[in-house]
Amino acid sequence: MLAYSEVTEFSGEVGNFRAKVHRKARYVDASRCTACGACAEKCPTKVPNEFNFGLDERKAIYKDYAQGIPSVYTIDPNTCKVLQGGKCGVCAKVCQAKAVDYEQKDSDVELNVAAVIVSTGYELFDATQIPEYGYGRIPNVISSLEMERLLSAGGPTKGHLSRPSAIRGEVRLKELEKLVKKAQKAEDQTQVEKLQKEQQWLEEHIHKCHTAKKLGFIQCVGSRDFRFHKYCSSYCCMHSIKEAIIAREHEQETQSYIFYMDLRTVGKGFEEYKVRGANVSGLKYIRGRVAEVTQDADLNPVVSYEDTEQRRVVSMTLDMVILANACSPSLGIVKLSELLGLELEENKFVKTHPNRPLDTNVPGIFTCGCAQGPLDIPESVAQASSAAARAAEVVMTGGRALAV
Amino acid sequence: MASKEVLIIGGGIAGMQAALDLGEMGIKVHLVEKNPSIGGKMAQLDKTFPTNDCTI
Amino acid sequence: MKEQEPSDIRIGVFVCDCGSNIAGYLDMKELVEYSKTLPHVAFVQENLYTCSEGGINEIKVAIPRENLNRVVVASCTPRTHEPLFQSACEEAGLNPYLFEMANIRDQCSWVHMRDREKGTERAKAQIGMAVAKAAQLKALSRIQLGLSHRAVVIGGGVSGMSAAMALGNMGYEVDLVEKQDRLGGLLNDLNTILPANEPPSRLVNDLVGRLEENPKVAIHTKAVVKKAEGYVGNYVVTISEDGTEVKVKTGVIVVAVGARVLKPEGLFGYDGKHVVTHFELEAMMRQGATEAKYVAIIQCVGSRCAERTYCSRICCMTAVKNAILLKEANPETKVTIFYRDMQMYGVENEDMFRRSKELGVRYVTFDPEKPPVVEADHVKVHHARMGKEITVPADLVVLSTPLIAQEDVGEISTMLKVPVNENGWFLEGHVKLKPLDFATDGVYLCGNARFPSTIREAIAQGLGAASRAAGVLSKEALFTSGIVADINADTCCGCLGCVQVCPYGAINYFEDRGVCQVNKVLCKGCGGCAATCPSSSARLDGFSNQQIYAQIEQALAG
Repeated sequence: MLAYSEVTEFSGEVGNFRAKVHRKARYVDASRCTACGACAEKCPTKVPNEFNFGLDERKAIYKDYAQGIPSVYTIDPNTCKVLQGGKCGVCAKVCQAKAVDYEQKDSDVELNVAAVIVSTGYELFDATQIPEYGYGRIPNVISSLEMERLLSAGGPTKGHLSRPSAIRGEVRLKELEKLVKKAQKAEDQTQVEKLQKEQQWLEEHIHKCHTAKKLGFIQCVGSRDFRFHKYCSSYCCMHSIKEAIIAREHEQETQSYIFYMDLRTVGKGFEEYKVRGANVSGLKYIRGRVAEVTQDADLNPVVSYEDTEQRRVVSMTLDMVILANACSPSLGIVKLSELLGLELEENKFVKTHPNRPLDTNVPGIFTCGCAQGPLDIPESVAQASSAAARAAEVVMTGGRALAV
Repeated sequence: MASKEVLIIGGGIAGMQAALDLGEMGIKVHLVEKNPSIGGKMAQLDKTFPTNDCTI
Repeated sequence: MKEQEPSDIRIGVFVCDCGSNIAGYLDMKELVEYSKTLPHVAFVQENLYTCSEGGINEIKVAIPRENLNRVVVASCTPRTHEPLFQSACEEAGLNPYLFEMANIRDQCSWVHMRDREKGTERAKAQIGMAVAKAAQLKALSRIQLGLSHRAVVIGGGVSGMSAAMALGNMGYEVDLVEKQDRLGGLLNDLNTILPANEPPSRLVNDLVGRLEENPKVAIHTKAVVKKAEGYVGNYVVTISEDGTEVKVKTGVIVVAVGARVLKPEGLFGYDGKHVVTHFELEAMMRQGATEAKYVAIIQCVGSRCAERTYCSRICCMTAVKNAILLKEANPETKVTIFYRDMQMYGVENEDMFRRSKELGVRYVTFDPEKPPVVEADHVKVHHARMGKEITVPADLVVLSTPLIAQEDVGEISTMLKVPVNENGWFLEGHVKLKPLDFATDGVYLCGNARFPSTIREAIAQGLGAASRAAGVLSKEALFTSGIVADINADTCCGCLGCVQVCPYGAINYFEDRGVCQVNKVLCKGCGGCAATCPSSSARLDGFSNQQIYAQIEQALAG
């Protein structure tokens, strides 16, 4: 397994490809690290945790998530004091396994392989591209994956559905406490008053609406939209329904509204799940595309939409809005496709033929999962097995690429 | 001499499953992942529909 | 094997710090001292990491040096680490089933991080229980099984053909069994397929041609599987081909039996002439363009309803495809699709959907509570967006009916001991993570037999099922686990309680002797039978009543 690595050079042909893989330095000796976590506990450098979309913090020496594989810590060279030329060295001191190695260098591995499988996945659509939905500007508008982290027992809120405005508000309150003390010391009375006013407002705000109970899910954010992706991202309808059902399981008073164009429930058990969502979890499905999300004085998002079944434009005030971000092609795919000589289709997914679903234009290079287009989990898993079968055929026939 | 090994680029659910299947067949696999941990988006999910099972 | 006298039992206990994961929250010295006081414990050692090379080595060295015949490791979870410690025992000459683990990390130190004293007490209880059980452990053995490196694929549609092709290409002998007189399944009766935009015969002929050429693949048409006996690696399948029966040995079986189209008798005035299914429309279109000037297509006929709760996945795209083909054949034809949600997921389908709109296909939603009404030469429906009833002329009405399970799924399900769900679709091992496996080893699933699929999906699933099957076929031999159930034939009263709870179909009832017997090859050691058996005849090796009682007594004593 070559994690924290990228393919940088590629040549050859089916049965005999050569690839150079660039391994980034972790600054931790993987053979020694036992992932005990002592280093991260003592590391003094806190940075926003991208795994939880910045909803909490991690240290400069970190692991993406507790069960992450390989079970090795990694030092982030952009924030580690030592690697930035400063003084610290705490992690090396506390590491009983003597695994920390600030001198570690990037390295290259040469591989000779018979076949290649491209399973580079997808990127979550960046919803800031749709300014009318307010993502990034309105704190209580979040992405579908941010919602996952909020719902996760291992996430920043341990599964409690706190509003981001409250989570950030609490962080700001701590800051304010310090700032007030500083201002008091400096005897800057106007500043103290200003800060205290903010403090009071935030406390009230957090007290008034800490938990999100009235949720709106906006479907097709970046999908089925000519400005961005004209395709349907396949899994988002079910994803939103699932999030709404889980939110209700966490908090019985939760009421969710799902704004959709077509509810696509094509998988095994999906339609039944959707119906159960309405009957058991009280989900309300509203056919109509949301035009705009604004915000009221209490930081509640307000959605305006045309209710096509009621035939009128209406608005609804919610506690939180969850966007069903589209499945965008992975960022690195263009570069990788050039390296491997792969043809991409117009949306920048790896091109395949409907009758040869795993085969790329290069014999011996196969693709599966969201690299070749949006797919849900079981389809991805099934495709992965079939790509494995195609690769195995090459190996077992001594390097020949057979027709499907 | 043809190689007997396979390179998989991307260690999300699809890459991991392909690696597991090939491994089961006794074929040596190199799984390349750009992030420090494999798992991809799936590791960020809380539970999955329709069974609401946990993902990790 | 001679029973060991209790006085001979010498247990070694290894207590792991797991860095600070355990040692940071529990009193390790106390755990070590306590372990020494437990009965039969001959040796106790604390390791920083028992799983590290050094830790493993200490186990291997201590076994002969201290003359240990049982090992207990108190550390993390057996889910990830038990095999590692077991093989350390094995390498030191100790039967791997004379090993026991206490999970004092996930189940103790991580839970009781804030209460060192009580956490330590709890860990002591866990170690005590593991030691009590270890004293009762017996050596178990894994059984080596034969393995026939061949496959039987049931069903010669596109998924079954793809599975057979991949297995043949990998070098395994395959018997492909098709009920009809030719391969191809549903594809044989379709008109042009989109998005490939070609007659399906091209795909079928290509696959059939290459299967016929493949020396590893034996094609049986007009053939059915009559009987399947045995278990993973060792099946004997009886194939009846055109009246003659042959028996073939096989290691694995792929279920690719497909599905059939629902005939909507009694719905929307279905008559097979003016009101037809897509299947019938495609047959008409293959004969040439239809005369119809006004075509109305109605979605979700017999699906997403009380009787059939599921969405059949492929009917929307079939409707859009046929709408496009009708428009292309004659742009003057007016095509209207009445729908609830257009299920045009993904890149290609959404493209097709858009193209149909560009060609002038009209879409009208309906509420399932107020479905369209088919009358002599028109269709009436309540138009939600206009808020009134509209009438659309129609000289041909096409009903989008779902795929339904084959008639004989019940027989196949019983024969192979694999389950089907309430709609007759075969039930995979796990809906997300094992879509092509059954819970039973050696049987795999693909295509419409699992759930309605597109051609693209059916091919991928066929190849995927081949990959899963090759995981078994590529082995030289198979081994059972030592942790398996056994039924005492002398006390079994043949109540069949165990047969009913066994999720793996691993227990057979022998009528002649009136007893149940465990097939140790299929048994996964879940213990359901042992817990159910009213006469305590069923027992699970490695988790016997005696062993579990010893743990309970220790827990209650402490």
